[in-house]
This record gives sequence, C-alpha cells and structure tokens, in this order.
Amino acid sequence: MDRPRRVAVTSPQTRLAHARGRARGRWRVARLDPADAERAEHLLRRQRRQAVAALLLTGLVLVGLPVLLWSRPDLDAARLLGVPASWIIIGAVPYPAMAAVGLWQLLRAERIERGR
Amino acid sequence: MVAFAALVPLLLATLAIGLRGVAAMRTTSDFLVASRRVSPLLNSAAVSGEYLSAASFLGVAGLMLKDGAGALWYPVGFAAGYLAMLVLVAAPMRRSGALTVPDFAEARLGSPWLRRLSAVVVLVVAGLYLVPQLRTAGLVLSAVSPTPYWVGVVIAGAVVATALALGGMRAATYVQAFQFCLKLVLFIVPALWLLALAGPDVRAQAVEPGEYTRFEHDTTVSFRTGVVLRVEEPVVITERDGTRWKAAEGEHRVGAGRTLVFEEGGRVPSVLGSAPPGGPDWHRPLLATVGDGYPLLSTLSVLTATVLGTMGLPHVIMRFHTSPDGRSARRTAAITVALLGVFYLFPGVYGALSRVLVPHLYLSGATDTAVVALPAQVDQGWQGTLLTALLTAGAFAAFLATSMGLLLVVAGAVAHDLLPGGLRRLRAAVLGAAAVAVPPALYAAGIDAGILVTWGFTVAASTFCPLLVLGIWWRRLTPAGALAGVAAGLAASSGAIAVALFGPDVPGWAGVLVAQPAPWTVPLAFAVMVAVSLAGRPPAWARTAVLRLHLDDDHRGPSLR
Repeated sequence: MDRPRRVAVTSPQTRLAHARGRARGRWRVARLDPADAERAEHLLRRQRRQAVAALLLTGLVLVGLPVLLWSRPDLDAARLLGVPASWIIIGAVPYPAMAAVGLWQLLRAERIERGR
Repeated sequence: MVAFAALVPLLLATLAIGLRGVAAMRTTSDFLVASRRVSPLLNSAAVSGEYLSAASFLGVAGLMLKDGAGALWYPVGFAAGYLAMLVLVAAPMRRSGALTVPDFAEARLGSPWLRRLSAVVVLVVAGLYLVPQLRTAGLVLSAVSPTPYWVGVVIAGAVVATALALGGMRAATYVQAFQFCLKLVLFIVPALWLLALAGPDVRAQAVEPGEYTRFEHDTTVSFRTGVVLRVEEPVVITERDGTRWKAAEGEHRVGAGRTLVFEEGGRVPSVLGSAPPGGPDWHRPLLATVGDGYPLLSTLSVLTATVLGTMGLPHVIMRFHTSPDGRSARRTAAITVALLGVFYLFPGVYGALSRVLVPHLYLSGATDTAVVALPAQVDQGWQGTLLTALLTAGAFAAFLATSMGLLLVVAGAVAHDLLPGGLRRLRAAVLGAAAVAVPPALYAAGIDAGILVTWGFTVAASTFCPLLVLGIWWRRLTPAGALAGVAAGLAASSGAIAVALFGPDVPGWAGVLVAQPAPWTVPLAFAVMVAVSLAGRPPAWARTAVLRLHLDDDHRGPSLR
C-alpha cells in the first residue's frame, strides 16, 4: 500500500498571509496607561539629567585630552617607563577612563529605574 | 602557504558554528535578531567581535605607520562610541521593539517615507563599510601568500554569505562571539611575543622614532597600486628580472604589479601626498589629515565622526535588538566599552614596531598589511611563520565577523524595509548583497581601510545619530523634521566625501572639513531636524511614543514587549 501523501493544512487566510510575507505588523498608534505614563515621564526627566552629566564627563575626556596634548608639546619628550608620555595619554589612559564612566552610567541608570 | 593553512580551520569553524543557528529558524525575528534571547555577556562579546573589523585589526596600525602616533585617536573614538550609545540609545532603542533602524523610525514617527529613506541610508553606510572589509581580506591574503588579490575578496564574500544565509543572526551571534575571543588572543599574544622576540634594540628604536631616510638593508617593495615616487638622491634599483638601474633625481611613475629592490644605504624616495614615517610630525599624538597645519581640528573631526557614527551604525544597532530587554541592552553596551578597551591597548604596539621594522610599506601604500608583515622581519624561522599564520587568521576573523553583520543589515534593509518579504527573500537578499559588494572591492585596493570606514561613520553620524537622539529624547520631533534632517545630513556628508574623492584639492582648514566633514554635517542635520520640527506640529501620540521608550522593563505590560 502506498504511504498517504502528507499535506499542509492551513486556513486560506493563513496561506494568503504567508504568500504576502509577514515581515512586520501594521503600524499602530502608541498607547500607554495614564499611571505608566506618569512614571515614564518621571523616569525620562531623571534619565535625561543623568545622561547630560555622563556626556559632559565623556566630552571632558575626548576634548580635554587632545587639547592637553596640543597645548603641551613638552609631553612628547617626557618619558614614562621609557615610552613618550604623550603616547601613553592617547594609547592607554582613555580606555580605563571610559570604562569607568560607562560603569558609573550603568549603575546610575539602573538605580533610577529601580525607583531611587 | 602556512598562512593559508591557518585559514582553513577558521573558515570551517565559522561555517560549523553558523550551522548551529539553522535549528528553529522560522520567522523574520529568528533570522534578524536571534529571537531576542541573547544574554548581555554573550551579546557584548558578539558586539565587540562584529565591531573589531579590518579597520581595527590592521587599519589602525597601518594608519599609525603612515600618519603617525595620532592615528591612535581612531580607536579611542571607536570605543567612546559605545559610551555614547550606552548613555543615549541602548535601552530606549531596544524598548521600541523595532527590528532595524528604519523600523524604529517608523515605530516612533509613523512615516513610511522615513522608513524608506532610512533603509537607503543603511545601504550607503553598510556599503562604505563592507567594501573595505573585503578589500583588506584580499590584500592580506596576497601579502602573506602568492595568491592574487581577488582570491581573498571572493573567499571572504562566499564564506560570509553562505554562513549567514543559512543561519541568520543566531549564527552571526555565535560566530561573532567566538571570533571576538579569537581576535583578542590572536592580537595580544603575537604582540607580546613580537615584543619579546624583537630584542632590546628594536624596542628602544620603537619609542625613539627617527625619520625614515635611508634604506638600512636591501629592501624589496611590491607595488599593488601605481604610485609616483619623488627621488631626491639617485638610488640603485634592481628589477625582479635582475636588471639593475639607477633612478635619477625627479619623479618616477611605478606601475601596479611591479616589485623593486632598493639598494642598502640609498636615500628613501618620497611618495607624492604623504610624508615619510618617523618625521618630526610623526611622533606627535595628534592627527594631521590634510597637510599639517590643523592637528587639533583634524583630531576633533575624527573623534566627532567615530563617536557619533558608532551610535548610528546600523549593524551595531541591530545587535542591541538581540537583547531580551532594555536593561540587558544597556548592560551589553557597558561591557562592550570595557572589552574594546582591552583590545585597543595593542594597535599602538604594532604601529610603533612597524615604524622600525617595515617602514618601506609606506612606499607602496600597503601600510594596511603592516601587522601581518611584521613577524617575517623579526624572525625568519618557525616563530615568524607561526606568528604570521596566527595574525592572518585573526585578521580574517575580523573581516568575517564584521562583513557578516553588515550583510545582515543590508539584507534587512532590502528584504524587510524596502520590499517586505519572508524568510526566503531575506536569504536571497544576503546572497545578492554579497554578489553586489564583491566587484567594487576588487577595484578599491588603493584606498586605506581606515579612511573608507571613517566615511561610513561620517554618514551614520550625520543621519542616524540625530534621528535616534532626537527621536528618543525630544517629543516635539515631527516626521517632516526627521525626513528633512536625515536627507540634509545624507546629502551634505556624501557630497563632501564625493568632493574629497573626485573633486579638486581644497587647501587649509576648509580642506580638513571636506575630508572629515562630521563637525559641520552633524550639527547641520540636528539643526535642520529641530528647525523643521518646530515649524510643524508633532502628532498627538508623539508624547506617548517617546514615553514608552523610557518606561522601565518591570512595568511594561505584555503589549509593550
């Protein structure tokens, strides 16, 4: 006896949807419960203040170091462990500094969300 | 050939890990964002793995050899980009629930036109980024083994497209995380090994760079692209077929494909358009992209482009959508800053050693191959060969991981945003995009990876950065404002790049701003976006659309996930 042929069982609407592609749903107007909206408003304000502080700190590193190196050419001649001090300032100093700012920002942002 | 052999296990491992992702692949979400189930540690390894591209692995050391110690600002900007991402974008972006940047634009502003324009920007940025990856793959392979340039380009394109078309983002996640660990080991171990092997003399010279003026031994230079050399003092040259001749003072054109041996003791000719490595400006820790008059402006321009551009790189943003919620997206960004910091301590080591050991690469313009050319100069025996093999494998891992992410966003832009379709169309788009990206890479051999990639960053910084920052933090943004700002940023940044590539030479500080346009194109895009938005009126639901991005994960109902 022949094995019965296997067929896919789907509703015609599903077949139609598959054929059209279902990459994304239709766009819908955003909705939020009033209590949640109030909470989100509060979070947005506090996160924005925290973000500005973190950005200022980042900017201090990223603008401050080039200006420092530009205004102090004597740092090229200074040596730290035999390596020019200015090379250490661009090659090694920024990374731990940025990792520290990142950690601080992460902890503060999570604390704000836990509700102070 | 040993270097070639080192690639086989790498390529096989990439394909094998890619196949792991094939299981349970049913929907677009499975394919594009790995069903959003990736933990912060795995995800940040994958983000770093994807981000450490040819530009990081080879390009920074190459640029340092060519332009001087100031090139080390590039990796600072690359890493700082994730800090900006962490502060401004990561968590709210993930909470939007979008799969791609164009998706986000539509979710926040509800404009299908903005979605299409964003998809076009994705294609431009990914193209500027993908071509140098493939190009460097070809260059490296031809530098370490006797294969023609196109072989490496085609191998890289084919492996990436196959693994990705089968496994999608899940495959890409495992592959990229694996390759991050691989790259970290394959970059750091050879760096320390080389330092130890090179001996005290080389180490001392590396931190006391003098100008490269005399050939210290008979020096073989292979020219892969044509250059004009200016000979200041006659120098004896031996051709490959053994004929010797003396190059007189004046300019000499050297065609692509020639190999010349310069005699020991001769004065090094200069190359039109760049200064010899080790000169008085070389050791200055600031960038001088055009001439040497405006190092501070050049440095800050590159930092602007790289920091703000990272935020808008579509393939990086897509990675954050693989996190299960906003909090883990933010943790991913924070861990990434630290992981990248470890890696970026080492390009400087390669750059400083290159100045001592392979300065002649500057003559042929092949400074991007400095990292893989180093070991052979330090040791002729098995250690040199082994190190070359390790570094080649690491460099290939860099191309593979980055190209994978890029192909995925290109496929997403085409088959998800422009012409929505199912999984089959996404897979076809991956193969199609790879086929389109390979031919330009075959012709781009002469442009530095670092430069092309920075242009990708510039376009991203002038378009997606304002769109995301204002979209997330400013509720008055209107669809018309966003459209106008993205269009203005795209036109200004790509226009400046076109002038830098094909236009006349612009002198002075204006030249810096043409070659590195981010300091004016980014504010321009922000200004247009704000001005047009203020002239209009935001839709009634704009407030809710912004607020839901900031509502923390514990308070989100099922409808917001």
